[in-house]
Formats: sequence, C-alpha cells, structure tokens
Amino acid sequence: MTNLFSRYELGSFYDEMFAQPGVPRQHYARLAQRFGELDGRRELVERQKLADQTFLRRGVTFTVYSDERGTEKIFPFDLIPRIIPADEWAHLEAGLTQRVQALNAFLADIYGDQRILKEGIVPRDIVETSKHFRRELAGFKVPRGLFVHIDGADMVRDEHGTYRVLEDNLRTPSGVSYVLENRQVMKRVFPNLIRNYQVRPVETYPNDLLSLLLHLAPEHVPEPTVVLLTPGVFNSAYFEHNFLARQMGIEIVEGSDLVVENDRVFMRRTDGLAPVHVIYRRVDDDFLDPTVFRKDSLLGVPGLFEAYRKGNVALCNPIGTGVADDKATYHFVPRMIRFYLDQDPILPNVDTFLSSDRKDLDHILANLPKLVVKSVNEAGGYGMLVGPHATRAQIEDFRRRIVADPRNFIAQPTLGLSRCPVVCGKAIEGRHIDLRPYILNGETVRIMPGGLTRVALRKGSLVVNSSQGGGSKDTWVLGDDTVAPTPAEQEKVIV
Amino acid sequence: MLSRVANLVYWMARYLERAENTARIVDVNAQLVLDLQSRQAADDPGSWEPLVYVSGGDEEFHEAHGKQASERTVVDFMLFDRRNPSSIASCIANARENARCIRDQLASEVWEQMNAFHLKLQEDDYSEFAQIGSAEYLSRIKGQIQLIYGIAESMLPRNETWWFFELGRHLERADNTSRIIDVKYYTLLPSRHAVGAALDIVQWAAVLRSCSGYEAFRKSRRGQLNLERVVDYLMLDDNFPRSISYSLRHAAFALDCITAEAPHLMDNPAARRIAALEKTLAQSVIHEVIVRGLHEYLDDIQVEVARIHDAIQETFINYPTDGARMLS
Repeated sequence: MTNLFSRYELGSFYDEMFAQPGVPRQHYARLAQRFGELDGRRELVERQKLADQTFLRRGVTFTVYSDERGTEKIFPFDLIPRIIPADEWAHLEAGLTQRVQALNAFLADIYGDQRILKEGIVPRDIVETSKHFRRELAGFKVPRGLFVHIDGADMVRDEHGTYRVLEDNLRTPSGVSYVLENRQVMKRVFPNLIRNYQVRPVETYPNDLLSLLLHLAPEHVPEPTVVLLTPGVFNSAYFEHNFLARQMGIEIVEGSDLVVENDRVFMRRTDGLAPVHVIYRRVDDDFLDPTVFRKDSLLGVPGLFEAYRKGNVALCNPIGTGVADDKATYHFVPRMIRFYLDQDPILPNVDTFLSSDRKDLDHILANLPKLVVKSVNEAGGYGMLVGPHATRAQIEDFRRRIVADPRNFIAQPTLGLSRCPVVCGKAIEGRHIDLRPYILNGETVRIMPGGLTRVALRKGSLVVNSSQGGGSKDTWVLGDDTVAPTPAEQEKVIV
Repeated sequence: MLSRVANLVYWMARYLERAENTARIVDVNAQLVLDLQSRQAADDPGSWEPLVYVSGGDEEFHEAHGKQASERTVVDFMLFDRRNPSSIASCIANARENARCIRDQLASEVWEQMNAFHLKLQEDDYSEFAQIGSAEYLSRIKGQIQLIYGIAESMLPRNETWWFFELGRHLERADNTSRIIDVKYYTLLPSRHAVGAALDIVQWAAVLRSCSGYEAFRKSRRGQLNLERVVDYLMLDDNFPRSISYSLRHAAFALDCITAEAPHLMDNPAARRIAALEKTLAQSVIHEVIVRGLHEYLDDIQVEVARIHDAIQETFINYPTDGARMLS
C-alpha cells in the first residue's frame, strides 16, 4: 500500500497515532484511512496550502520580538489533528479540576493564614523569595474567594503515554484563540471528517469566559462593564486579545484609555468617562499601576491598584497569583493537593530538582548534559537549557548562572515527549507535541474540551513555543459514543 | 465608543480615501500628459513634478530623489514609496494597521479585504504599473478600495464606528477634491494654454473623469465644458458625491449622528467650523474666485479642513480629563 503513512517511523517515543508501525490506534483508524485516501501527496499539499492561506487572510498571526523584519507571522498549523478519546479526556478533566482547586486553596492560604508554610509542607522561603509574591495583598479578600481564574496547564505525555503536568500558567495564559481558529479552519478543510468523528465543540469558550468575568464583578453593580486590557497592538498576543474581546463583545482597552477618579476606574469615550467594573487584563502585575509597581510602565493605569484594593474593580487574574505558577512552587503542587483536598494527585508532575535545595543542586550540576534547566521566571521557551541538545559553552554558561542564583532555576530530566505525525513538506514525520488545556475557575470549573496542541516543528526539537519554531494542531476530544467504524461503515465514509 | 478607537476608525477612513484620491490624482495627470500633443512635453520632467506639490509631499520627494522628477520617480513616490506618508502603499499600510488595532469593531470581511489588499500592494512596484498601464493599474487600485467601502457599507452597523468612518472619509474627500482641481492649475501654469482651446476642454474632461464625474456633469445639463463650470461642479454641486460642498454636508451629518446620543456635545467647535465653511462656499461666486486666484482659494479650504480636524480631536479624542463628563 503506498499510503501516506507507509514510510512513517515511530522512533523510540510514545506515538499518539500508531500503536505499531502501520497499525493505528483505534481512535485514529478512520483518520488514517481518510488521509490514506488523499490523492498521494498532491491533495495533501493543496489542503495544507488552503489552510495556510486561510490563516494569513484571516490575519491569525503572532508577533516575534527577536525578528527584526517584522512582526507578524502565522502560527504554523498542521493538518493532522491530535485525537483524545473520551475516557482519556475524563481522566484529564478530573486531574485538572483537582489541581486548580488545590492551587486556588494555596493562594488563599498564603495570602491568608499561611497554614501550609507554618506546617512546613511548602518551604517558606520558596514563597517569600518568589518574584511574584505580593506582600501588599496579605489579608486581601479577592472577589468570590477566587485567586485562580484561568489556568493554562501545560501537559506532556512521557514514553509510556502517561500524561504529566509540566507547568501551570495562572496569569491569563495565551493561545486559546488559536484553538478556536484552528477548529474553524479544520471545519473548512475536512468538514465531514469532523462530523463523522463527533468531535466535541470548543466554541463555547468565549461565552464561558465572559460568564466568569461577570461573576467577578462588584456585587452591587447591576450591569457591570467588562473590558480587556492589552499592552497594545505590538504585543505578541495582540491578535488573541482582539479576538477574545470581539468574541465576548467587550471593549479592548489600552492603559491610556483608562483613568482613575476617586478610586473608581473609567474609560475615555468620545462622549465622556464611562465606569469600568471588571478588567480582564493581559498585562503583567509589574506594569499595571506605575504608582505602585514599575514606575517606568507606560502600559498601566495610575491609581488602579487602590481602586482594586477598595473592591471597586475586579482584575482577572488577581494580582499576586504568579507565586503559584512559579516553576519552583510547581514542585510542591502534589503536596498541596494532599494537604488541602486530602486526595492523591490524579495527574503526576514531571520530576523536578530545585537548585535552591543543596542536595538537588549537586545532582543538577553533575548531570547538566542530561537535564532540561529552566529559569523560574521566564516563559515562552526563553531562558531554557536543553542539556542533550546544548553545546558545551551553553552548558557552562548555565552552570555559572545556576551557581550564582540557585533560586532562579529548576531542572527536569529530558522527557521523551510523545510524538504525533506531522506534514513536513511532502512527507509525514513524527514530531514532539504537548497540550495546553484551558481551565476556567468561576462559579464552577469548566474545561474546554481539548486545548492547544503545540508541535515542535524542528526535527528532534523538544521546544514547542511559538516563539521558538513551534506550530499547532487542532485537538479533537471525542464524544462518549464515538466508536471505531466497522469495516462496512468504513467503505461508505465520505469525507 | 472609546476615544482612541474612534480616532483609529476616523484615520482609517481618511487613509483609505487619501489612497483612492492619490490614485485619482496620478490618473488625471497621466491623462493630461497623454493629451499633450508634443512628444517633448510628455517626456518633460515638469509634466510629473506638480503631483508632489499637489499632494503636499514635495519635501519628502526632493529628499528622496533630489531634483530628478520623472514619470518613474514620481509614480513610484506617489504609489509605492513608504517614505511618502501619502503614497498609496503608505495609506493602505496605515489603514490596515489601524484596522488591525480595531478588528473587534469591524466586520471581519472589512479587515480581511484590507489585509489582502495590503499584502498585494507589498508585492507591486513601478514595473507592475508600467507593464499593466497606468489607467488599468489605477482602476484596479480604485476598485480594491471601493470594494472595501462596499463591504463596510453593507456590513457595518450604523453606530458611532460608522459615523466616525463617514466623518473621516468625507473630510478627507473635501480636502482631496480641492487638490485634484489644483492639479490642472499646476499643469497649465507654465505653458499658458489659451482658455477654451480644444486642449483645454480635453483637460477639464480629464479632471472630471478622474473624479468619476464626467457623465454626471454631462447629465447635470450644465452645458459646455469650461473652467468655470467644471470648478463650480466639483466644488459646489449639491448632488455630486465628490464635490467639496457635498463632502462637507456629509461630514456635518456624520457629526450630528455622533452627538445624537450625547446632547452635551451637540454644539461643538467642529460642527460650527464645518457650518461656517459650508456657508463660505455657498456664497462664493466661482467667476470671482477664479479672477482672484483659484489656487489660493483652494489652499484656504485645505487650511480650514485642517482646523476642523483639530476641533474634532479636541472635542472627542484628546479632551482633558478634568471637567470631562462622567457617564453613569
């Protein structure tokens, strides 16, 4: 059979699609068949072109800071979806719900009684030395008791196919717009395949997010006004800010659009100053209010912090949540789950060594070529060492930096992340992937089915970030009653 | 509506309109040059240089090209040169950048069309223009811009976004039409053709055509083509949508719609200035204007349009926070 997949190599990793060479996993059987039918490579290349053009035309782009020329690129999109069967998803949902609840309890605790520190479950200095811990907020009552509003937890699968949490992202994580756009494009490119698979829809996300934001509004306001605060059009995630604002039907504002008068927030409109009650902010704590945080910030709103403290405006996410998604705090999340919920963690972490811990530090320094080292405060794949792929000079550079500032680094074993087939020009090859689900923690916990599957497009690369040559796939969570097609059915499947 | 957003919409419309009129200005000049009978005149650098004065870009042009005005350098400057803020490429890039900032306020089709047009323009240069021919190339450009207008017109709700779009578009058009009329002034000045000569009539026909006003002028039963009648038509006609009077009336209407929901702003300096300019125009007698100096008269209109612009900014966009009205 000269099937598109006939030369596909599985390598020594967990492969999402194939159980053995030429044998797709049950939930991929129909997809394998459909792609097998594509007229050799020509149709595949054409459909890929159609998808890419759709993204460019729709302006689904992100901005790369280091690229001088410019500015906007499309986030490369791969045609082959990542499929998650219903039972796997149920497991992930349960685990993520548990995790979000524990993280929320942790933040309430450390800005409250600090029981977990007093009992020594989490070392006090890990919290107090975190760059994102805000002493100013000790004792502050957040609206509805919610500290965690949105978690974009990064998940990976190891060599055995076990899902593990790689990190939490509690500060308005980005990427969800690509999930929604990817689905729109897939619906155009493979409409019947999606229908036949009974893929669970993702389109309710903006509505769920808006419900969450309205839930946070000061309680005495009958019709609260919600806005999205963006750093501006040059921010790498501006497309997303705009996309979400449009989908929710709320204003997208920049710092200069907002003013604070008498500890209340207003936006400058053509007809005067209009009150604002909830701010979904895509601006970091440091830049929110130049009178309290960074004085040089032009993005922020003078007086916003005081308006927030007085309860006149809600912020999503609240100030100071970064202490819980600090890459060193991460290590203690399984303990938080046991401590606050009295449950065993459903989703394991990735083993993590803290260079602030003497014993761990020795291990890290002795094994740098084998480890992945991450700076605790960086995101987007910046400030990271992938030992097995690093030069000796890079390794020595990190060694010096770790010794100089141990609190700033953690290390993890290099994971053999699972792989999924990806269209690479005219061939199909395996590439490493991860998964970022989006968990909304409002009146109840709601998790969008699936999330963003990111692909490390460079051969052998483990870094999936868009700024580092990553791409994405549509992620299909299957409905409960999706079963593998019978052979008779397979014949008449028209896609 | 947010002041910043209103400003982006307003400028987006101005950029689009300016791009279209830049195409018209280049078009009228290309036609005038074609109609010049002597081959020598067609190749004369002086035949193209006036355009950079009319568009107000003479400083940038001389900085980029020295004294070397030729068809190639001028067309390149007016159409493709990003150093010229009024070139079509610059206007569309700016309009598209504004649209990108306010995608949430626009129908996605408007943005998509503008984005596609911008991407296409990025690939074009003078050789494309020369190969296709000026008339055809410029009519494609105009067509693209009108497509964007058409989509906006049929898709955008008639709310403040729309009215700021209309305000920017008509104010820009009032300014630009005055500049198109001015092209002929520059072209004619050095050679002093006899008024009423065959060539003169051909040239005024070209000016009308570049405003898509030739047939409309004819149907308006204004009689023979001549300087006075064409200028009168392009400046003062009540029904022709590119005339200066018409454009001002529609800018005033857009302002009224903007303030309809905000009675405290009903009486504002921009509205007063537009009304005053409309009155000045209505009282003008074209014959006298021409005798006293058409170019100077057109200049005054452009200065007054700039003042209206400033008044709009001060009322709706950059007003001081102290003393601003607090809405509930």
